[in-house]
Amino acid sequence: MFIKKSNINTLMVVRVIGWLLMIEALFMVIPMGVSLYYGEYSCSKAFFFSIVITFALGGFTARTIHPERMDMHRKEGFLLTTLIWVVFSIFGMLPFLFSGIVDNVTDAFYETMAGFTTTGSSVFCDVEILPKSILLWRSLMQWIGGMGIILFTLAVIPMLNKSGGVQLFNAEVTGITHDKLRPRVSQTAIGLWGVYIGLTIFMCVLLYLGPMDLFDSVCHTLSCVSTGGFSTKNASIGYWDSRYVDGIVILFMFLGGVNFSMLYNVIHGKIKSLAENEVFKWYVLLCVVGAFICFADLYFRGENRNILDCAMDSMFHVVATITTTGYTVENYSWGQFSIMILIILMLSCACAGSTSGGLKIDRILVMLKNVKNEFSKAIHPNLVTSIRINGKPVPYAHAQRVVAFLVIFALVLMISTTVITMFNIDVFDSFFMSLSALCNVGYGSVLGEGDIFASLPSTVKWLLTFDMLIGRLELFTVLILFTKGFWIK
Amino acid sequence: MKIVIAGAGEVGTHLAKLLINENQDIIVIDNDESKLAKLEPYNMLTHVGNPVSFKTMRNAGAENCDLFIAVTPYETDNVLACEIAKSLGAEKAVARIDNYDFLRKENRSFFNERGIDDLIYPEYLAAEEIAVALKRAWVRNWFELCNGELVIIGVKIRDNAKLVGMPLRELFKMSNYAHISAIKRNHETIIPRGDDFIRVNDIVYIATTNGDMQNIRTLCGKADVDIKKIMIMGGSRIAVQLAMRVGDDYKITIIESDYDRCEELADRLPDCNIIHGDGRNFEILEEEGIEEMDAFIALTDSSETNILGCLAAKEYGVKKTIAEVENIQFISEAEALNIGTVINKKLLASSRIFQFLLDSDSSNAKCLALADAEVAEMIAKKGSKITQAKIKDLNLSRDLTIAGMLRNGKGSLVQGDTQIQEGDHVVVFCLSGAIHKVEKLFN
Repeated sequence: MFIKKSNINTLMVVRVIGWLLMIEALFMVIPMGVSLYYGEYSCSKAFFFSIVITFALGGFTARTIHPERMDMHRKEGFLLTTLIWVVFSIFGMLPFLFSGIVDNVTDAFYETMAGFTTTGSSVFCDVEILPKSILLWRSLMQWIGGMGIILFTLAVIPMLNKSGGVQLFNAEVTGITHDKLRPRVSQTAIGLWGVYIGLTIFMCVLLYLGPMDLFDSVCHTLSCVSTGGFSTKNASIGYWDSRYVDGIVILFMFLGGVNFSMLYNVIHGKIKSLAENEVFKWYVLLCVVGAFICFADLYFRGENRNILDCAMDSMFHVVATITTTGYTVENYSWGQFSIMILIILMLSCACAGSTSGGLKIDRILVMLKNVKNEFSKAIHPNLVTSIRINGKPVPYAHAQRVVAFLVIFALVLMISTTVITMFNIDVFDSFFMSLSALCNVGYGSVLGEGDIFASLPSTVKWLLTFDMLIGRLELFTVLILFTKGFWIK
Repeated sequence: MKIVIAGAGEVGTHLAKLLINENQDIIVIDNDESKLAKLEPYNMLTHVGNPVSFKTMRNAGAENCDLFIAVTPYETDNVLACEIAKSLGAEKAVARIDNYDFLRKENRSFFNERGIDDLIYPEYLAAEEIAVALKRAWVRNWFELCNGELVIIGVKIRDNAKLVGMPLRELFKMSNYAHISAIKRNHETIIPRGDDFIRVNDIVYIATTNGDMQNIRTLCGKADVDIKKIMIMGGSRIAVQLAMRVGDDYKITIIESDYDRCEELADRLPDCNIIHGDGRNFEILEEEGIEEMDAFIALTDSSETNILGCLAAKEYGVKKTIAEVENIQFISEAEALNIGTVINKKLLASSRIFQFLLDSDSSNAKCLALADAEVAEMIAKKGSKITQAKIKDLNLSRDLTIAGMLRNGKGSLVQGDTQIQEGDHVVVFCLSGAIHKVEKLFN
């Protein structure tokens, strides 16, 4: 009813969703091929039906709906971006349901959303019994979601290459501001996806050279570059117990947490931009300091006396946490101090414009510099200050937006935690799960995926699903749909 | 085409928005971040920095751009920015200037040596347009194409016009000297088909050959007005240009509210009456004899004032009114309010830029911009799509129409079974956003 009242171009939004569904169906063809190769015919059937339904519905929508206006503005940008993530998850869970691997919608939707949002927490206690095609589909979902569904579409659908596309770009890409690499949004999208695909291929080859077989290499590459965290083994990366694998994974998790626009510039010969990038320096610093603290904690409490193992494992967990990947190598009993450090890293997360989740270092830097300015102003009331990030002044309006973001983040985190405690779940666990979902990390209890998610009540699962979605789209895009002003003409 | 625009002022912003509709890659440079912020939602790249700096130019990618357009408020900056862009490797460079001296033929070599391919002087273009409008007071727009052999005019149709209510197919049979290229009706421009007909209050764009002008005038039911006395409201730069151009032909009175500016005008334009006062004050208008005036031209900075001034002049019985309307959204409103001719500097400037889009060798193409349509003169190249079949068999897109052509120095209108040949100059009328289709058709 209220849609009628508003001036949102709903038909156009629905039509674009139709196009996108067809793209999703094409992605599903890959795991179907894999299922045929490995002889998992029940899965092939499940994928086949999913593809048919998704493609038919998408094609039908795109063909039959002809909006009067083709234009899309800010509101359509928010609406479409949110809807498409939900719709993708709805259709993405079909293979789980049809193959009978998951028997209820709650779990299937949770798993799919955890995939697309690159959270990587799973309802499966034992992933090793899952068919290979399903494992691949989980990783592939993370890969698509990592760089962004919309961004992929912008690169391939020329119809969106106008100002409506720019609104979608702004609604999906993370960060305070959204760097455009090239004049047109489609060129920017192609550039970013180019870097992403390049990283993926590179990592896959490197992993394959090590002890992993091709299938595991592909799956882990897809979920690592996207900083997702789905694994094909219960023990995650720890299964291989190989320093080589750990090293490669650390490197590419780290790269997944870097601003892709910066990577693009570096690849295009502007190495200098690396040195000028303040956020990147802080990212490196956080990784190193975090790793050192965890290392000291592990080593001196005598958990693991081998210095090299200790250093490597600390490094691994710190990078997995800060980039919100959520892989594990070993289940340690971490000291309280380390746990706190990891929570802080989870909050801060990596650079804006990367595939990671959370607050982003950019925002924290803006905030801290703002605070510093306020202190100076307390002493010199007439002082005029500016906030500079990467050597460029940040307009005051951006700083205000960051404050609003932090406040909303804290509120959502608090509400989510409170609701989970209503189910008599330990306060710390409730907090940790909410934070982990909101930042798209995917740890269940402290630093172990464990089987905590499987046993949660379904209400909590839905809540966490919602947390993941708003966390991935950086709060505003989703929450704005719940404001009255959005729907009023 | 990669186009870098320096200066996100009114002209720069308008150009950028126009050019993204034509599917070009646009990068806008400006010092002022807040100006660029307004362009953020559009499908283009913005770059904060001083346009007169090598570093900014390199970062913005002026090195390999196809067209560099400098439209900052300062002509010296524009010229310098163009030189820098050219030295970095820009294909073409265009600078906006503010000085008639630069436009003189004898000084052109100076700019050519510096790699500046064209100069845009919007105020001069505006003055030129007003001069044409004064000479042909019964039309709203007058575009001469193909060395004056073909003319496209815009006329507002009243109920005394013969062509009202007649399907265009029959109209053309009756009077084959007129090709109705476009109709502007209720804020919308349409390219008509044979079964469309003209209504009262439409603005009709008619292509014709120069010799048939009198027939067109009677067809539209217009009387010829001879203009002798002009009143100009607002002593802007356009007013000065206009007075210098046509000062000998007309008796000009200029009303300007700023006293210092009045003195300056009096020094520069000794033949004009310079009146110090507010043009919105009717007493002053009456005192200066507005009732005796043949034309009223409103050229103040405010579009609203100009529109209202013209309406007031109409009340006093002035036959021809011309208003400068810089807000593009207001243009169709102003046209609906029966203001004779509307002048817009941005459209005039962008029409010059479009020539570069149509043809890298801009001397072959000519382009005129209306609020939401363009008129282009193109030369049919060998093997181009336009020469391959008769017009009616070409399956032309519905947002453009072929109005006329010039072959062997003789202009003629185009009909369905005309076959365009290599080397013909062809006049195309197209709606905004379709100019790249025209370009494809001819190259």
